[in-house]
Amino acid sequence: MNLAGIGSEQVKRLLACLAGGVALAIMVGDQEGTQDDYGLEFRQSVAFPRILVFLGIGVVVYLAVTFWPRVVPYLTRPGIWPLAAGALTVIASLILLQWFTPQGNGKFGTVRTAVADTSGLSALSKAFFSWLAYALLIVVLVAMFVAAARRLAGLAWAAAGLAVVAGGLGLLAHRAVTNFAPGTPDHSLGAAVHAFGYLVIAVAGVSVARAPVGVARTRESFDRVLAWRPGLPVVAAGLVFGLLALGSATWFSPQHFDADLRATHSLFDPTGLAPLASQYLSWLAWALLAVTVGLSGAGSYLRNRALGLAGAVVGVVAVLLTLFTLHGFSAIGADLNVDSATGPWQNLGSGGWVACIGFFLAGAGGLIAAMASRTKATASPLASTTTSDTSAVTDTAIGAPADTLSGGVRSGSAGARVVGPPSSGRPSSGLPSSGLPSSGATSTSAVAVAERPLEASMPALPAHRMLSGSQTGTTLLLVAVAVALFYPPTATGFWQTVMVTEIAPYVLLAVGLNVVVGWAGLLDLGFIAFFAIGSYTTAYLVGSLPVKPPSWLQMSPLWAIPFAVAACLLAGVALGAPTLRLRGDYLAIVTLGFGEIIRLVAINNPGNFTNSTRGPSTQVPHPVIDLGFIRFEWALNPLQYWYLWLFFLVIVVILFYRLEGSRIGRAWTAIREDEVAAQATGINTVRVKLLAFAIGASTSGLTGVLFASQVGYFNPDNFVLNNSILVVAYVVFGGMGSLPGAMAGAAVLTWLPEFLRDQVPAEDRQMWIGAVVLIMMIFRPGGLIPARRRKAELSGFDHSESAETSAVPLGEGMGGSR
Amino acid sequence: MPQPAPVLVARPGSDPFWKAPGHDMVTYFHNVPEYLVLGITRGSMYALIALGYTLVYGVLQLINFAHSEVFMSGAFGSYLVVHAVVGDGSGTPAWAVPFVILIGLLTGALTGAIVAWTLERVAYRPLRRRNAPKLAFLISAIGASFFLSQLAGKMFNRLTNNNMPTYFDRNNVVFTVAGADVRVLQLVIVGAAVVLMVFLDRLVNGTKLGRSIRGVAEDAPTAALMGINIDKTISRTFVIGGALGGAAGFLFGSYFTFYNTMGFVPGIKAFAAAVLGGIGNIRGAMIGGLLLGIVENLVPTLPFIGTQWTDVVAFAVLVLVLVVRPTGILGERLGRAA
Repeated sequence: MNLAGIGSEQVKRLLACLAGGVALAIMVGDQEGTQDDYGLEFRQSVAFPRILVFLGIGVVVYLAVTFWPRVVPYLTRPGIWPLAAGALTVIASLILLQWFTPQGNGKFGTVRTAVADTSGLSALSKAFFSWLAYALLIVVLVAMFVAAARRLAGLAWAAAGLAVVAGGLGLLAHRAVTNFAPGTPDHSLGAAVHAFGYLVIAVAGVSVARAPVGVARTRESFDRVLAWRPGLPVVAAGLVFGLLALGSATWFSPQHFDADLRATHSLFDPTGLAPLASQYLSWLAWALLAVTVGLSGAGSYLRNRALGLAGAVVGVVAVLLTLFTLHGFSAIGADLNVDSATGPWQNLGSGGWVACIGFFLAGAGGLIAAMASRTKATASPLASTTTSDTSAVTDTAIGAPADTLSGGVRSGSAGARVVGPPSSGRPSSGLPSSGLPSSGATSTSAVAVAERPLEASMPALPAHRMLSGSQTGTTLLLVAVAVALFYPPTATGFWQTVMVTEIAPYVLLAVGLNVVVGWAGLLDLGFIAFFAIGSYTTAYLVGSLPVKPPSWLQMSPLWAIPFAVAACLLAGVALGAPTLRLRGDYLAIVTLGFGEIIRLVAINNPGNFTNSTRGPSTQVPHPVIDLGFIRFEWALNPLQYWYLWLFFLVIVVILFYRLEGSRIGRAWTAIREDEVAAQATGINTVRVKLLAFAIGASTSGLTGVLFASQVGYFNPDNFVLNNSILVVAYVVFGGMGSLPGAMAGAAVLTWLPEFLRDQVPAEDRQMWIGAVVLIMMIFRPGGLIPARRRKAELSGFDHSESAETSAVPLGEGMGGSR
Repeated sequence: MPQPAPVLVARPGSDPFWKAPGHDMVTYFHNVPEYLVLGITRGSMYALIALGYTLVYGVLQLINFAHSEVFMSGAFGSYLVVHAVVGDGSGTPAWAVPFVILIGLLTGALTGAIVAWTLERVAYRPLRRRNAPKLAFLISAIGASFFLSQLAGKMFNRLTNNNMPTYFDRNNVVFTVAGADVRVLQLVIVGAAVVLMVFLDRLVNGTKLGRSIRGVAEDAPTAALMGINIDKTISRTFVIGGALGGAAGFLFGSYFTFYNTMGFVPGIKAFAAAVLGGIGNIRGAMIGGLLLGIVENLVPTLPFIGTQWTDVVAFAVLVLVLVVRPTGILGERLGRAA
């Protein structure tokens, strides 16, 4: 780069953008090369016209990159990021999502032509689908951008109002279309996502209008919204979901029939439904929603612990009642043999489950509020001049909600921020920002001192304290739980199958491999071998392999868990003991070889123990719980397996979460960072590494049991090398060493191919996944959700101090080590 | 359009002539020279690919997982040019054959070099700038590998039996050693590999560029202080490794068939070979490649083992060697090429 004149830099950038455009042009097209021509036709016709379009895109990107510095100041204006997120959501809903399932591929464009051809639809929906949607989007975006850039509060309010109207119009137009064709079940998300995007834009507008200062840090403002009244956003989300569910969603949907809450009530009221369920359907649900939201909201707004807890309790009760009701009327539906239902929980619409999410979130908001108000009690307003352990921070600037300038110690932004006048000296329990890794020495910079004298005397909060106690973390966790519990029943059968056969196993595997790769830093490219060992052990123990176990050993799948885990543990130790003294990359190739060896042994072993390439000869039976008085058998319904997976996943994650901060977890970190130094501090490196190997392996043993008993038949092709590499990719993609990261990485990358099934030709999916992984690594090498420690590493030495050191409990410091 | 030409030399999955009935130890020993010839041929291709891994490992201490796709691109790139030159290959005069082979090697090397250079710019340099953890490089390389192999499948085709034009009789037996036929193509492959490896050895040991590569491999920060441009050196190392891999792609594509996912298995094997010889060690990669090729042909053909265990044998040898010598046969000698 020594000839890095401006000109050559520009030329390089332009060339790179053009090359990217060409690559994209090849990627989006049809299959170019055929049987004999090796892409000859493509090369001959490459000039027109697609390539020009993409070269144009390349030029646009080039311009965008070149003029990016001029854009940057605007990006720190309040509301810009929510605006971008909302705009992307709306555009995605218009491009990618389905708006009316029965109509062709159901996307907006398809529905648009269909609506144009249909007479008798309301003028509104005609207009909406033909031009209004686009016009509204453009007007709202332009107005909002101008308002944000020029900081015009009035225009922002207007645009926010228009955004809400636009979202509502979308819902109405969609409603008109679905009403026009009754009896055709519609599972589209387009209108809802569209409305949600506009809501986000409206929020952006409010923050533009109400922001007290000229610049905002995205993460901070997000945290500030969450921290203003902890739990309130969650309660609001719960209210939205609850209203959607009770107001419009389908509760009972056999084929060619959709009944919302009221219709369901009038359907089942005369059929001898349990009185409570009947009451629920008629009015109790609304009352419960009102009470939950009211209690939680009041608890959150007034920072009242009792009210928040009460809201949480009512929320749980409401969820239980909802489930009871759903069970009640679906069982009656099965008795009446509606749509050949064979038992309860069939023919249900999404309504009940969405209501569950709503109640859950409303209750969770109350819980968050209750927890937050407890930390408030321990926070001492101005006394935190010593190294404060409390996660609350003194905040003197609470007046108007948006004035909440919490987190006075955020040095990074302190210089640029103009602080509103403190109005009431009331301490806030609002937790400060979680995301910013800033802390330490820079926090008392001169600028901060000059602007907020008060802060000068306050030390930095340890970054990890802010993180671990953060509202954002708790909130996201609770939302994730709500989605994991109640979203799957509303998904289509296809997605349910994907969830239990692809996503869940690989999430569990990634969690296991995260121990080996992420925490102990051992690159294991043969992880899938343990998965295979677990699966084959199960198949052997339940008697599905050609070679049967002795009769006293034959057992049902769930009992095989300890044996499979033990087998994998032994295999992990057997592989690890001789090889763990190898350094990183040697270990990688040895484990890779191990993975291949296991697979090949499964294919051809003497005595045909594993039935070669065909896998188990008889089906591995489904799991059964038989306690004498209770007997539950998992059958073919993917949902049942989903909850089984979830149960074990939760156990494993909790165990590993505890493990991460334990002495062993810290030993792993030490080995990962510097093996020699770790050895010098008295860590038995071989033993600790073996432990990591064994723990990771046993997790995949558990996965193997569940997988084998769920799919029934499997074969060595399930355990190819590619899958091992993919699991490593999941872990790193999600964020090495971070439990939520590993789970998110696996979930996203197993979801992506199935999602792409609708978007690109089947054989191109791997290409797109490769591109996504590559781009992700280029722009975010730490992964989706980087581990805190890794994040400290990536950002250099400035921030790494407290997160590592003060995570060690006092008694276990240097003095107390082994 | 050319018809896929039949290839009689060992093609994966189609030629286990040793599986013929009546094989025993006597037949085995009778066939050992044959196996050796096959093994040396295959091993020299492994060695060429392994050099790419080992060079990159030397300067970056990273496994370049996308090197297998560099190798694949060499096969496709050389095919396009060779096909443009000789058509379907019939009627190529004998005097032109060496030139065509040279053209194939050069274009394969060129394609490989270009792809490797691009790869370094796209998948490695941005991460290096961001001081990313080591595994992030691995994953970005894996992403690039998926992307490249499937992009090639989209641009060219997804068949698995593409053949180079038959512009000479590659199965013509040149001479016979101890009962083993040595064919033209095998000679070409081994000869080209030897020439390229000697060339590389001279390049690394005898030129200024080689000295800077060794300097960066030894100690990058110090090398930078001595006035070596690290970015450029790394880039050029990728180009050299890519050229060797691309040339190997041409040879491999001529010997077997070529297709968009052809890189995966030879890539893994070559990586194993590099580790076997001592990764980062150039001569180690050559020896490791040859050894792996020979072992793969010599051991599984033993009557009591069977060829279905080929990969198991290869990896078992690797594990055994590593357990005895944890840094490979010749040991890691980053920077000291010889």
